Amino acid sequence: MVHRPALALLVLAALASLLGSCLGSPWFAALGGVIFPVALMALGAARGGKLGPLRLPIVLTGLVLLGVFAALLALPEGGPDTGPLPLGTLLLLFVLIPVPFLVLSWAYAATFDSWFLRDEDLDGIRRQRRQRRQRRQRRWRERGD
Amino acid sequence: MPLLDRPLVVAAVLAYLAISMAIGVWSLRRTKSSRDFWIAGQGLGVVVTGIATMAAAFSGFVFVGGPGLTYRIGLSSLFINVSIGFTAALLGWALAKRLRLLAEVRDVYTVPDAILCRYRSRTASGAAAVAVLIGSVGYLGAQLLALGTVLAAALGLENWGLAVLLGTAVLLFYSTAGGMVAGIWTDVFQGALMLLGAVGVFLYAMKAGGGLSEITRSISQSESFGRQFLEPFGSTPVLTPLCFFFVFGIGVLGQPHMLHKFFMLKDPRRLKWLPLVLGGSQIVCLLIWLGLGLAVPALVAQGKMPPLQNPDDAAPLFLLNFTPELLAGLAVAAILSAIMSTADSFTNLGAAALVRDLPKALGRTVEKELLWGRIATVGVTMAAAVTAYLYDDLIALLGTFSFGTFGAALAPALAVGLNWKRVTAKAATASIVTGTAVNLVLEFLGRQTYFPSLPKPPLPPGVLPTAVSLAASFAVLLLVTWWTREETLDEDVEAVMEA
Repeated sequence: MVHRPALALLVLAALASLLGSCLGSPWFAALGGVIFPVALMALGAARGGKLGPLRLPIVLTGLVLLGVFAALLALPEGGPDTGPLPLGTLLLLFVLIPVPFLVLSWAYAATFDSWFLRDEDLDGIRRQRRQRRQRRQRRWRERGD
Repeated sequence: MPLLDRPLVVAAVLAYLAISMAIGVWSLRRTKSSRDFWIAGQGLGVVVTGIATMAAAFSGFVFVGGPGLTYRIGLSSLFINVSIGFTAALLGWALAKRLRLLAEVRDVYTVPDAILCRYRSRTASGAAAVAVLIGSVGYLGAQLLALGTVLAAALGLENWGLAVLLGTAVLLFYSTAGGMVAGIWTDVFQGALMLLGAVGVFLYAMKAGGGLSEITRSISQSESFGRQFLEPFGSTPVLTPLCFFFVFGIGVLGQPHMLHKFFMLKDPRRLKWLPLVLGGSQIVCLLIWLGLGLAVPALVAQGKMPPLQNPDDAAPLFLLNFTPELLAGLAVAAILSAIMSTADSFTNLGAAALVRDLPKALGRTVEKELLWGRIATVGVTMAAAVTAYLYDDLIALLGTFSFGTFGAALAPALAVGLNWKRVTAKAATASIVTGTAVNLVLEFLGRQTYFPSLPKPPLPPGVLPTAVSLAASFAVLLLVTWWTREETLDEDVEAVMEA
């Protein structure tokens, strides 16, 4: 079963990106750019239509992306100098890269065995492979006869 | 600069080329089947896969084109890379598991193979193969441009064409001999050099510019650059960096040179550490873009370096003139690594599209696939060399076009199609064709000067054609899916999608 909110977000992201690039609206373009990865991560990470333990890290990442892009677009000329760089550039380098990396890498590894790829999933897949091979061999034998 | 003035740099370059060729010879003995040639026998661990994926993803585009682009447009160029904070996890959740599990149940060696399994459509798979071929030639062309720039500077060659020829000969030797076995092990060797080189160059670039505060002060006060250079949106229209973020953040889901590596992983459970290894190594490599991107304009502003005629010379000129010879040698080898590790992926993918994917889409198989694979590798490289010769703009822009072609053509059909059973073969085909065609037409109209009567693309200032084609490709996939009737899937493919 597909994760319906992720599909709804995907439609929203596609619309926002198209409007942003065709009408030249930075706010729509930023919205599309932020929603797309969140929607696609949710679509891929969901099981049986649910995000389970991954809901929090994915939503948190979406909020970080949304917050940083809103700040970048709202700050005139990149904002005031904060240390050696404008505030907007610092957000870009020290929030937009490390925060999603740490949150998502940890969430991915921490939930991998229990949620994303369980041993029984792999056993099922390998059973499918064996059955497919057996069917193919049977067909070859039948043709040979 | 005369060759003998920098003997250590020359020695490092020659040693690097020799080691790459030695790996080619070693791999030749281990390449016995087409499975070895295309997917390295499917026996890799996650660290090897992660480093090889990083090395394939980060190319001359990042190590040479990135500092060049930053010199031209300022720190807004970083929007190309800031998405690396989430792209590794995005790849992991949306694609890596499904692609690897597909390779568990079927003989899947390439992305068009995966599309054929998922949609049971030779048209969709053939369209994907055409997109892979076009993108591979463009991306390989960008690598050859970078290769010529770096080798000519490092070896002091006046003749840029000769430098390209030398690099191409080595590349062809190891990739035709050893296929993906050579590709992977040179990628690991090259990836390690890239990580070392990126850290070393970043530290030295900061030192050469007088520290971060002095660097930013020099840039802010200079007439040529000004504070705008340091602002997130810089001197470019706001839409350009936003398009960079979108194209590189989402387009990553359609990059066959990265996705291809997932087929090679021995045990799907090892994917657990993929985001950490891939994302972490990408963040380290990004240091070279940031370091050189800041230090070179600062040195120009401080009058220690003449203004660059060609922004793509930023990396080689800095390394040859401002770093100790040993570090310059290591860094030049690292840059060559970045270029060649990506290039070997594309020679392999382009050849696979010609020898395996396109014939399959036409309902044929090629006998002696291994032999023809090697011959096709040469053909694809030659086509890329011609593209590089005819192209006359920044390396990063050719890289952006090729990345965008892959992203627009393949990302929706793979990332949505492998996670939502409702997506139909017609929707996938329409999306692949739309992504490829819109990108090619907009790029051609934007660049061509042969037909003055043809209009320029009707896009707002700053919008990248690749962003429009990527958004259009997703929209078409969703629309056609809702218009067409649901299809049944093969039992094993359904199991992969439900896992």
